[in-house]
Amino acid sequence: MKQKISNLLRDIFHPREIFRVLGKDRYASLKIRIVLLDVLLSMIPLFIVITISYFWFQKILKDDFHKQLNWEIQNTKQTIEFFVDERLSVLRFITSSYTYEQLSDQKFLTETFARFKKEFGGLVDFGIIDSSGIQRSYTGPYNLAGKDYSKQEWFQEVIIRSYYVSDAFTGYRKIPHFAVAIKREVPEKGTFWILRATINIDTLQKYVNTVNLRSNDDIFIINQEGILQTPSKFHGDVLEKYTAHVTIPRQEILIQELQTSGDDCKICGFATIKHSPWILVTVIRSTPYARIPSIFRNELFFITMGSILLGLIFTIVMANTVVNRIKLSDQDREKAVGQSEHASKMASIGRLAAGVAHEINNPLAIINEKAGLMKDILEVSGNMPDNKDKFLSLISGIAESVNRCRTITHRLLGFSRRMEISQDAIDMNDAIQEVIGFLEKEILYRNIRLELNLQENLPKVITDKGQVQQVFLNIINNAIDALKKNGLINVTTYAKDDKFIGIAIKDNGSGIPKENLKHIFEPFYSTKEKGEGTGLGLSISYGIVQKLGGTILVESEINKGTTFFVELPLKSEGD
Amino acid sequence: MDSQYENELRTLQMRFIGKIIAGFTHEIKNYIAIINESNGLIGDMMKLGKSPENELPVYLDIIHSIEDYIEKTTGHFRYLNRFAHRMDAPLSSFHINESLEELIALINRFANQKRISFKQGYDNDMPPVYSNPSLLQLIIFTFVEKNIMELEQDSTITMQTAVADKSVLITIIPNGKRVEGSSAPIPTELLDIIIKELGGNISQDRGKNTVIMLPLTSSSMSQAT
Amino acid sequence: MAHTKVLLVDDEKEFASALAERLQLRNYDVKSASNALEALGIVHSFLPDVVLLDLKIPGMDGIETLKAIKKFDSTIEVIMLTGHGDVRSVEDGMKSGAFEYIMKPVDIGELTLKINRASQKKQTS
Repeated sequence: MKQKISNLLRDIFHPREIFRVLGKDRYASLKIRIVLLDVLLSMIPLFIVITISYFWFQKILKDDFHKQLNWEIQNTKQTIEFFVDERLSVLRFITSSYTYEQLSDQKFLTETFARFKKEFGGLVDFGIIDSSGIQRSYTGPYNLAGKDYSKQEWFQEVIIRSYYVSDAFTGYRKIPHFAVAIKREVPEKGTFWILRATINIDTLQKYVNTVNLRSNDDIFIINQEGILQTPSKFHGDVLEKYTAHVTIPRQEILIQELQTSGDDCKICGFATIKHSPWILVTVIRSTPYARIPSIFRNELFFITMGSILLGLIFTIVMANTVVNRIKLSDQDREKAVGQSEHASKMASIGRLAAGVAHEINNPLAIINEKAGLMKDILEVSGNMPDNKDKFLSLISGIAESVNRCRTITHRLLGFSRRMEISQDAIDMNDAIQEVIGFLEKEILYRNIRLELNLQENLPKVITDKGQVQQVFLNIINNAIDALKKNGLINVTTYAKDDKFIGIAIKDNGSGIPKENLKHIFEPFYSTKEKGEGTGLGLSISYGIVQKLGGTILVESEINKGTTFFVELPLKSEGD
Repeated sequence: MDSQYENELRTLQMRFIGKIIAGFTHEIKNYIAIINESNGLIGDMMKLGKSPENELPVYLDIIHSIEDYIEKTTGHFRYLNRFAHRMDAPLSSFHINESLEELIALINRFANQKRISFKQGYDNDMPPVYSNPSLLQLIIFTFVEKNIMELEQDSTITMQTAVADKSVLITIIPNGKRVEGSSAPIPTELLDIIIKELGGNISQDRGKNTVIMLPLTSSSMSQAT
Repeated sequence: MAHTKVLLVDDEKEFASALAERLQLRNYDVKSASNALEALGIVHSFLPDVVLLDLKIPGMDGIETLKAIKKFDSTIEVIMLTGHGDVRSVEDGMKSGAFEYIMKPVDIGELTLKINRASQKKQTS
């Protein structure tokens, strides 16, 4: 078994032996080619479909994810906006509920502050500021009474917009705060005043943190300069700078896919918070769609493998069935052709024999009559002088007819020689030299050099000399044609092993291109011009060598030359 | 019959026919040569001045010999013709004795080389047989050839024919010493297959006689010729 | 008795001349023709008793020639000269009125016997 496998591998992979495989069993190689082609053809659409499905599925997941993300960001944004608006509304309510005079009173402010602080967590302080920017009353942990805010930017802004929300800043006990302010117009007096409140960032943070996040994801708020307003999981703490890329969205929400230097794709969502200087940033590192769920992949893998296997099995079975049918029908055809060839050979024997018998009748009849006449003359008149000449002419007439008989009979002999398939012990070296003898003139005329490396004591082969010589004649003729003028033909004989001898005929001509090599043993395949050569020579030679139990191989390299190897068994099987 | 046997059979047939024709041709060449010589002899005698008046019997003798050999030649060609035409159809009606006679005549030359002669013991009341005459001749030839090769000089071979129940029997009886250690190989397996397809049988008995049985009518025979 | 008139029709001149001579030696009155046209011409002028006719002569088909002769004079008897394997032609010839046939190479005794029988038949018809 091991030997068989190693032989098979050697046959398939050793370059020279490939042609042995092709030559020996065309049907096996046809089967292999059909299966390979079929599998390839069926795998291509399979892979196309799989690839398309894969990417399509990936896209759907991604789109879905983005939608989901968008929705989440939207929600968070709205929540925070609501939070901001709520704080602003509270202040507005306070400014509409109480007068400037009331709230300017420190005690009143403190009481009011205490009441509101109870309801709205995170309030740190209240402050009333007059139209010139001076803090009239203040309640809170800082010492800010009488502070002059007139030069500050926020003051200008609140005058223009009527409201203000600040960035985060470090406050009391290093706790980050942010401030909101409302301007209250007093149309009767033509003036205004401002209610300012400081709020703990904690509360803001609470809203941000409600978002349901995966472990790798981060959501936080930054200001227009990129300073963190709420703490980020991976990018720093409050009031630290967010160093990664920020795109300020023109519309309210912008989701961007960024390729970072790491392998993961980062998705950043930016959302502006209305009525505030803030930007909500969502950084998603875990993109579940980037890794198609393993289930899909496993299933896909098994389905693919299963289909390929199924397809392969099916193709092999089909190819086997079809090629076997072809082989059978080829064999049947060969058989039928063989039979009809044989039948016609036999019929021709009958015709030949009849033809010869018929033809020879006349000269025989002539001889008979002339001899008879001679007899008659002798019996009737023994008178010589008159008849001498007559006799001599009769004798020469008989001689002529005898020659005719000979010629006619000779045809029969030629025919019988052709019919006899001898099985004699042939010295291949002699056989080759005879063939070369035929072609000597041609070889000399074309100035081709002939090298003979005939192994001494080459074992004799029991085979049909005529047919073997026909093969050599064909191959050497081809070599001569390939060389045209000048060149070298080398004929080597060797004992391949104890069962086979080999004859190698090599020429250093133009060689045969690889595409043609596969076909040269096919009938009617010829690279010669139309009218020159039928293309049958090599296919007939192939058939002869096969029938004699041997193999014929060819090796060729462009511009280097071609070598034909004919290997014959010392004894054909069955002897 | 499977294709390997068919190929073997065809080869065997070709060889058989080749041998027959070769033998025939050599025989004819022989006859013609004798005619030629006789003819030349008359010419020589006349030129040498041996006139017919004095040598009449000699002249007549020679001419008689020429006529004789013409007849032999013509007869031999008739045998060849018959032999060749037996291959025209796979099955036909023929007479065993006739087909044996022509076969023996055509192979006489081989036998003559060892001065082996043929005796015939033909049953004269043989009915015609419907079978394959050329294959029968092939089979018989194979055994006869074997005997010729194995027998010593001056032996005889007797060909016997007889009718049996719905069949005919052809017996080849060699008579003579066998050459020491000689054994000419014959394709027994193939011959068995052939005769069986014709519905017959080949058997050998102790005395090295070969008996070929052929039914009067062979039913089938695939394209074996 | 008058010599029996024999017309020998055969395209092999060597054969025909030798045979004719042999028949002459046996007291037959022999003429030869080597083709159908010539043969018919001689039949008209020579009025043979017996015609020895080789079936494969050039020109007209042998059988046609036979028919033509019989048409000219049905008492003329025709003996066909044939090689082996000419069975079909011989049959046709017999059907077309030939008297007999003889195979080549010819046995002179057999031939003269047949010629005599043919001539006898002619005389009695």
